[in-house]
Amino acid sequence: MAITESTMPKLFDLALTVNGTLREQAVEPRLLLSDFLRHDLGLTGTHVACEHGVCGACTVLLDGEPVRSCLIFAVQAHGHSVTTVEGLGAVDRLHPVQEAFRQAHGVQCGFCTPGILTSVVPFLADHPDPSEEEIREALSGNLCRCTGYQHIVDAVKLAAQAMKAANEQPAR
Amino acid sequence: MTKTLIGQRVLRNEDARLLTGLAQFVDDVEIPGLLHAAFLRSDHAHARLVGLDVSAARQRPGVIAVFTAEDMGADWAPGPPLVSPPPTAKDVTFHSRRQVPLVKDKIRHAGEALAVVIAENRYIAEDAVEDILVDLEPLEAVVDLEDAMRPDSPRVHDDLESNLAAHLFQKKGDYDAARQQADLVLRRRILIDRGAAAAMENRGIVADWDEKSQHLTIWDTTQAPIPIRNGTAARLGLSENQVRVIAPFIGGGFGPKMMMFYPEELVIPWAAKKLKRPIKWIEDRRENFYATTQERGQVHDVEIALSKDGRILGLKDIFLHDTGAYDPYGLTIPLNTQCHALGGYDIQNFTTEVSVVFTNKTLVTPVRGAGRPQGIFVIERMLDAAARELGLDPVEIRRRNLIPPTAFPYEHGIIDQAFAPLILDSGNYWPVMEKALEMIGYATFVRDEQPRLRKAGKHVGIGIAPFVESTGVGPYEGARVTVEASGKVFVATGVGTQGQGHFTTFAQVVAEQLGVEVSDVRLVSGDTAEFHWGTGTFASRGAVVAGNAIHAAASIVRRKVLELASKHLETPEDELELEGGRVRVADIPNRSISLAELANLANPLRGAVEPGTEPGLEATAYFGPRYGATAFGVHAMIIEIDPETMMIEIKRYVTVEDCGTVLNPLILEGQIHGGVSLGIGNAYYEKLHYDENGQLLNASFADYLIPSATEMPRIEVGHMETRSPLNELGTKGVGEAGTIPVPALFAQAIENALADRQLEILESPLSPNRLYELTSRKEAG
Amino acid sequence: MKIEGQYTFDGPRPILWELVRDPQVLATCLPGSPSVRKTGEHEYEGEIAIRVGPISGAFAGQLSVTNEVPPASCTLTVEGKGKVGFVKGVGNIDMTDQGPGKTLMKYTGEVQIGGKVASVGQRLFDSVSRGMIDQALGKLNETLQARSGGR
Repeated sequence: MAITESTMPKLFDLALTVNGTLREQAVEPRLLLSDFLRHDLGLTGTHVACEHGVCGACTVLLDGEPVRSCLIFAVQAHGHSVTTVEGLGAVDRLHPVQEAFRQAHGVQCGFCTPGILTSVVPFLADHPDPSEEEIREALSGNLCRCTGYQHIVDAVKLAAQAMKAANEQPAR
Repeated sequence: MTKTLIGQRVLRNEDARLLTGLAQFVDDVEIPGLLHAAFLRSDHAHARLVGLDVSAARQRPGVIAVFTAEDMGADWAPGPPLVSPPPTAKDVTFHSRRQVPLVKDKIRHAGEALAVVIAENRYIAEDAVEDILVDLEPLEAVVDLEDAMRPDSPRVHDDLESNLAAHLFQKKGDYDAARQQADLVLRRRILIDRGAAAAMENRGIVADWDEKSQHLTIWDTTQAPIPIRNGTAARLGLSENQVRVIAPFIGGGFGPKMMMFYPEELVIPWAAKKLKRPIKWIEDRRENFYATTQERGQVHDVEIALSKDGRILGLKDIFLHDTGAYDPYGLTIPLNTQCHALGGYDIQNFTTEVSVVFTNKTLVTPVRGAGRPQGIFVIERMLDAAARELGLDPVEIRRRNLIPPTAFPYEHGIIDQAFAPLILDSGNYWPVMEKALEMIGYATFVRDEQPRLRKAGKHVGIGIAPFVESTGVGPYEGARVTVEASGKVFVATGVGTQGQGHFTTFAQVVAEQLGVEVSDVRLVSGDTAEFHWGTGTFASRGAVVAGNAIHAAASIVRRKVLELASKHLETPEDELELEGGRVRVADIPNRSISLAELANLANPLRGAVEPGTEPGLEATAYFGPRYGATAFGVHAMIIEIDPETMMIEIKRYVTVEDCGTVLNPLILEGQIHGGVSLGIGNAYYEKLHYDENGQLLNASFADYLIPSATEMPRIEVGHMETRSPLNELGTKGVGEAGTIPVPALFAQAIENALADRQLEILESPLSPNRLYELTSRKEAG
Repeated sequence: MKIEGQYTFDGPRPILWELVRDPQVLATCLPGSPSVRKTGEHEYEGEIAIRVGPISGAFAGQLSVTNEVPPASCTLTVEGKGKVGFVKGVGNIDMTDQGPGKTLMKYTGEVQIGGKVASVGQRLFDSVSRGMIDQALGKLNETLQARSGGR
């Protein structure tokens, strides 16, 4: 069967900012944001593990707010700004939260980690001095099978302390 | 040599890439022209496949190919046996029935693959899967273990006389005679049901056949890249050298990724070669719930014989083990159960008999624990029952039976999963238990706190469960260690890594020998192009078997370094030391040479060398233990139960682990924490619900609940170190230790917390619902 | 899964029987706008759209009516399959007079589901099927009242 006009999906001209860069691409309306980020943009740090918004591995920031990229279509992010784990920091310039995860051994297989980082960054912005209970509550939407969460909780505490200390230092 | 790095809390080498999203997992592999696969899977658990009409699927735009069993022609063959039955055991029956690439005639579990669609993208492939028309004749499903063994049960494999997959009888001493001497004989029936490994990363495979170079590259979420390479080459008629298997970063293994070959591992490389196009298949979560292997279903009829002072005179355990639709993994799990039903106890008379049963359910292969939690659950439940009958404290009855430190190596005589006689190599059990008692404050809790809290109406309980863990089994692993021209060190080993921190612990072992920074040791694991001898990461053996192979290779390189440096510095070897990437004369620090210079001296571009000289500062070495090292540990926990909702709050959780030499306490603690979280899931949250037709009813993370951060307690980890005499590093494995005793611990602590209800728990997993049912039934009498 | 229940209709039994025995009528009462075609004396085929929690899809299947004892009881057998799984069910309907112009219908049945609708939708299937039955019986009663002159 030849590909005809009627069997071709209609494409949508998508434009959005990803990690500070404007991206424009024609996409199928049914394309998930997670697939767009991973496969069209090659930002494979965002992982997909449950495909229905339970595990949190695919969390990215949409205009600074955490969202499940497996639950929304790429076209829904049209005109918005998306931050993925790649946008938080780099290997030689880790974000304070990333650095804290390294220090506290908050990473094992690392598959859930990007989604946890993108959940923790906005959480710490709202809760600069969280209690353990608040941290666990905040992490309850992110599943991890390797760590038992303890070192992740420690990492979040450590990140909070480090960020607080950095903020308290007089700007030079 | 001063000990500097082994045992340090060294930060991980691999973290920066994982934290920034740069680490490559299988689904991250992109190749120009990559095609995507989706499988049509059976909705029925048991059915005869009458026909498949794939014509509409083939017509769909964007579909490249659709394959059924028929299309595979002569290439269709079941997977190879992964583990043979133990050659050393007498009285073994074993019917090998292996999984098939695509169903040809009969469907044996829901989710079994019937056809594969290869398309330009995954969306089209999935659409085309829905275009396929399936004609099948449903059959009555075999689900319940005991029903499966009835003579009138439908059969999973028509050519067998029954659903019996295997039978194995083992004994030590004379149980019947011991029973005659006993003051107390207790009999119980214990039920253990299935759970999922539920690694966060689903399985996946990418296969790329290069027609020009006649070479196949496979990225696979496997714990065993080398056997996958060898098996794939054999199936496709290629030289092993033509196949490269890479297990890159793996998002959690926990056992099922050790299973091989999965049908997808049989089909995707075959299709890629046939179509001469790269193909990617990534499992979705629902597929993971019924196409990825599971574990734990067993039914035990146990009898224990004791003297009135609580000494175990004998144990008899007759049990059924659910292997699912096929049995490629042989008897590994039930052998572990048999060996671990002895716990860490001095038991002279033991009879154990397992019948392995085929059912119309997903295949069973090891999941973190691998038969050990069931064995420990059995013995610990029996000891708790015995303690109650004899009026003994649960700790005291264990103290009286633990193997004393002087009795090692302790020979049980029955055979274990490695087909070697079960010998507990070393241990210091009671002190480990004492440490756990002290950490959790057992005496004070039982004497003061619990009576006070009970008076206040609180249902608080304590549990304490010791366990053994057979680890570090053979056959062998190997490694190659090279000092490169830069002076940095490259290590290649065959085992894959799934988050255990091998990039760091193995680097520590090497850095210790060669006096370099841990961060200057670069490790590649799980790439057959770099190293192609070995078996895989399983049975808590990475640190023991690969760790000691790496240690051996690094030791040889160290000798080569010293030999060359000795010539160059004109100083005897024993006066040289390796530190900071240099070899220097002990008393004259400024007389030194860097590893980089030595590496270049060892690999000259011109000039003559002595005959027999090997270039470079490189060595390959192997390690294979005669038998596995046995670790020991104790978990203890204080809980409070809300008797209305049966929700459990864990107030304290303590573990003390003795896994021999600790390479890196930070990573070790991480392993324990993660193991405990799977154990807590196994004990109180996770159960795979199959209905009577073999349909799995909770195949999503919304319905199958794995512990989240709010269910997990803070875990206090204590260590003891009893070095294993079986390897130079003195290590024992720890990968499964966190998981093994948890169901037994929960049962004990719950009984203790609900002491007023006189509840006896003889099943696992539990859940708030199930506990509510059990207590209500008890009250209803 | 077992289904069991009863419903008191506001109309006489013979008219209710006629309605029940006419799957075209039954079809109009079910949600998901099913279509039904007669393929034999007691056999029908049709399609229905079903939504169970996150799972929705069309099912195509057959319905057969057996063990008829007019105007009192019969057995309905349904087999349907679709892209999201399959449904099989056998149900018995038993009707008795319940005072003037009232008919009591008792129904019992056994439903088996498989595939995605089972593995992901099971949690909700019970309440969804109950909802569908309640809705269908209510509609059937309305039809009955209209047909029997609104008594």
